[in-house]
Parts: sequence; structure tokens; C-alpha cells
Amino acid sequence: MPKDQFKTRLEIAKKRISKKNQENKNDNPSSIGAAFKLSTELVAAVAVGTIIGFIFDKTFGTTPWFILIFFFVGVVAGITNVIRSAKNMQK
Amino acid sequence: MAANPMTQFNVYRIGPEVKVGAFDISFTNASLFMIISSVAILLIFSLGSKKNSLLPNKIQLLAELSYTFVSKMISDTAGSKAKPYFAFIFSLFMFVLFCNMFGMIPYTFTVTSHIIVTFVLAAFIFIGVTVIGFMKHGFGYLKLFVPSGVPAVLLPLIVVIEIISYLSRPVSLSVRLFANMMAGHTMMKVFGGFVISLGIVGGWLPLSFSVALTGLEILVAFLQAYVFAILTCIYLNDALNLHH
Repeated sequence: MPKDQFKTRLEIAKKRISKKNQENKNDNPSSIGAAFKLSTELVAAVAVGTIIGFIFDKTFGTTPWFILIFFFVGVVAGITNVIRSAKNMQK
Repeated sequence: MAANPMTQFNVYRIGPEVKVGAFDISFTNASLFMIISSVAILLIFSLGSKKNSLLPNKIQLLAELSYTFVSKMISDTAGSKAKPYFAFIFSLFMFVLFCNMFGMIPYTFTVTSHIIVTFVLAAFIFIGVTVIGFMKHGFGYLKLFVPSGVPAVLLPLIVVIEIISYLSRPVSLSVRLFANMMAGHTMMKVFGGFVISLGIVGGWLPLSFSVALTGLEILVAFLQAYVFAILTCIYLNDALNLHH
């Protein structure tokens, strides 16, 4: 009976998939992706903060001040970014 | 013999020089490989969707697998509201993936190892997501920058921090892809150079490293395309379902 045969084969395949899914829960690509995400998050915010400070300094002629302030604000923004995406990962 | 590991990233002109005003818009090797990857994607999907048999052949399987993969990714991260943007995210994912993968073939050019390419992609995503956010929520989208439950004294500082963190999205998105691709390809070239300079006696160790690195690079090429697409989904989710 080819139909019965197909059904049993389908059952076996389904079981195998569910078993595999349980095994692979911890190393699916999204967890590796999340790890890659964290590193650049911090750097990018610092860079953006510094660039904004640099632009403000150029336009207002207050050379060291805005770049100093926005550098540290950028660091804070970067840390909040990292904490936020780490929280998202735990969900 | 290209001994310099950075020469693989050179952009050179193919064919005549075309200038529009001050801009050089001649056809380069970068444009060639962008076209090659776009054509390859089109070819696979037109062949894959030509005859919809119940038992798919290999190309149809490839097309259907990538479709379900991206579709599942969108519904997992951005919910059902993001379904209308499937076409955009799918083409973005496929384009980045194919550019990365074509770069893995020797003597090819990796388009995504140039920051201007990845930054333009990220900038378009950023602008698009911002426009979608404003279209869906009006000026209420600005609430994204004002987290609830913050004392009024700290509010100006928090808003500045939130704005910087929002503006850093395209930068981190583009730098991640570009840096991963460039670092990987440079490393492979450096190890390849070691094989030549150490010769038949000592060249076996860097050669084995090279083989391992190639495997790693293929993983990274896939993973970075995946991360690029999933972060687009996350940003889209922020714009569609405003919550803080």
C-alpha cells in the first residue's frame, strides 16, 4: 500500500525534525548573529556622538567643548544600546 | 603577483569613462559584480518558480527554502504587521547574501567589503524605517526618543542619548557588514601569502589555516547577510509597533 507507506514515512520524518529542533535550539543562527551585533553597537554610538560634536564645534566655533561632551554622551548611548540588545536577547 | 593583501579591494574601471558633471559613473568591477549577483538571484527565482511541482527539484527547493526562511524571520521578529515589507527584506537579504557568496569565489570582487555600498544600503533602510514610523504614528513616533518613567530633570540628557543611539543604527549596521567582509578577505589573502613565502617546506600550516578560514568565511558571509536582514526587521518592528 503506497499510501500507508507514505504516511509512516511522513510520521518518521516529522519525529526526526522535532527532535532535531529541540537539539538545535541553542545554536540557531540568531544567537550567533546577536553576538556579532553587540560589538559594533558600542563603537557606532561613540562614533556618531563624536561626529555630531565635531559638526557642532565646526559650526559654532567652540572647538574642544562639544566634541568632549558628545563623546561621553556617545559612550553612554553605546552602553545603553548594548544593554538594550542584551535584554532583547534574553527574551 | 598581488602580494599586497589590500589590492583585492581595488575598484577599477571596465570599459569607457563616463562622467556626469563632477561624478564618475563609469562601469567598474564593483558594478559588474552587483549585476552578476542580481542576475543570479533573478535566474534562480525565475527558474525556481517556473513549474510548481509538488515534489520540487533542486532549484525550486532552494527558492522555496529561502522564501520560508525569510518569511519566518520576519514573522518572528517583526510580527504580522511587517508582511507588506517582505519583498524589500527578501531582496535585501538575497542581494547581500549573493554579494557575500560571490566574493568567496577566487578572483572575484566582494562588493560588500566597501563601506560605501553597505552604508548606502543601511542609509536607505534607516530613512525608509523612519518614514514608515512617521507615516504610521505621525509625530507620536517621536515618543521613541522619550522613554516613559524618566524624571524631568534627566529628560534633556536622555533624549540626546536616545537620538544618538537612533542615529547610530545605520552606522553599526553598515560597519558590521563591511568590517566582517573586509577583515575576513584580508586575512585569507595574508594566509595565502604565507603559503607562497614559506614554500613547500613550511607552507602546509598556513595552507590548512586557509582551508579552515574559507569555511569560516562562508559561515560569516551567510551570517552577516542574516544579521543585516534581521536587524532591518528589528528596526521595522520598532517603527511599526511603538513600545517602550
